[in-house]
Amino acid sequence: MIEARDLTKIYGAHTVVDGISLAIKKGTIFGFLGPNGAGKTTTIKMLVGLNKPTKGTVRIDGKDPAEHRMRENIGFMPESPVFYEHLTGYEFLKFCGDLFHAKAKSQGYYFDILKKVGLSEARDQMIKYYSKGMKQRMAFAQAIVNDPDYLFLDEPLDGLDPIGRRELKKIIKSLNKEGKTIFFNSHILFDTEELCHEIGILNRGTLIYSGPIEAFTKGRSLEEQFVTSIEKISKPL
Amino acid sequence: MNTIFLQNVLTVAKNTFKETVRNKILYGILAFALVYMLFTLFLGSISLGEDLHVIRSLGLAGIYLFSIIITVFLGSSLLYKEIERKTLYFVLSKPVSHAHLVLGKFFGLLASVAVAVAGMALVYLSVVAFKGGGFDVLALLSIFYQMLEMALLIALSIFFSTFSMPLMSTLYAVLIIYIGHSLDLLVSSVAKSSVAAKAIVKVIYYLLPNLSKFDIRDLVAYGTHIPFTQTLLVIAYALVYIVVLLYMASYLFEKREL
Repeated sequence: MIEARDLTKIYGAHTVVDGISLAIKKGTIFGFLGPNGAGKTTTIKMLVGLNKPTKGTVRIDGKDPAEHRMRENIGFMPESPVFYEHLTGYEFLKFCGDLFHAKAKSQGYYFDILKKVGLSEARDQMIKYYSKGMKQRMAFAQAIVNDPDYLFLDEPLDGLDPIGRRELKKIIKSLNKEGKTIFFNSHILFDTEELCHEIGILNRGTLIYSGPIEAFTKGRSLEEQFVTSIEKISKPL
Repeated sequence: MNTIFLQNVLTVAKNTFKETVRNKILYGILAFALVYMLFTLFLGSISLGEDLHVIRSLGLAGIYLFSIIITVFLGSSLLYKEIERKTLYFVLSKPVSHAHLVLGKFFGLLASVAVAVAGMALVYLSVVAFKGGGFDVLALLSIFYQMLEMALLIALSIFFSTFSMPLMSTLYAVLIIYIGHSLDLLVSSVAKSSVAAKAIVKVIYYLLPNLSKFDIRDLVAYGTHIPFTQTLLVIAYALVYIVVLLYMASYLFEKREL
């Protein structure tokens, strides 16, 4: 279970995330939505232990992700990933895999992951020559290299063509069927609606909704309901 | 020190090594070094019977100069690039601490510099042997001393890159190299100055690394014996600075918002 209590992040005088609390059950696909600058990336970085909260706590299966050993069971895909330019796809994935110690991984294990994300043929090519979509797939591959129970994805479908998006969504669904909990930030509402069991909506650092997708949409499309909700809040009094 | 710690440091070091040795600029610098080493042959031939001495002096100085360029060039952006490009998200979201990353970067770059220095040393030894100087064992000791200085400079560059941009890190490193090689001169120049001036110089003397301790090139060029105890003391001197700098770098890096 992912639990965040009163999670707050303040940079100088600016409160980026303002006391949000979340409880995401194991095996859920949770979509974290919000307009640009709402604080989604800051939140996800706190959830995986990359950023320390100014206030509040994060627990994943009761443990603090800031403890680096706890991260054996977490996968994280950053937004707009930038890679080590001089490594090949295989070398990069192996580098990431070697940073986990729970189980030994063979060359075949890495090849299978690269095949899964559609980078099998490009595995010996330097990442600097990859297209944006290929880099996005590579970032996803490294997030699942440790076969984690908890997967955190920051804008995973960004930059992918329709076929790439369909393939990645298929992988996300199959990982969820294996019992993995998936938390992802997105502004592509159509895909979120298709993938998620639950959603959280963040606006200017404040959580305005968290729960089942149907309870939020109330028969309307997610995009329609999302825009209406945000506009209602943002309207000057 | 546990196995996970060592594995993480080794993994990051291997990655850093691969990244740096595949950098084309490194080969550009090494190509210049090669041309310079061959040029010492010409300079030796016009030095009226002192050719071997000239080749030794200039050759060792060349290895030092090009090692400094490689170290400062690669070291100043080593950690900064990770922070700026956010490649460290891939590393720090895994069971890796900030200290693992800093140490891995240090050993990775040290290995790259060592390989580059070994290549230059090979050319130097070949040039000396070609001019009838045989196998220059003492030069290897001088190069080892230089490597200690490079290790210290890498630690220094990593420390600077936790809080400053590559250009500033380079500037700081160059300043410290300059002052570090002039500390003895600085102390003697204030011998007759005021108490305050002496106190300031004393603080600088004990705070900054005295890099002239790593310079035995002239002694080697003249074939002077270097006592083993001196070498041990120099190793210990370098280690103290390296450990303190890497510890401070890890601390500052951990405090930094990503």
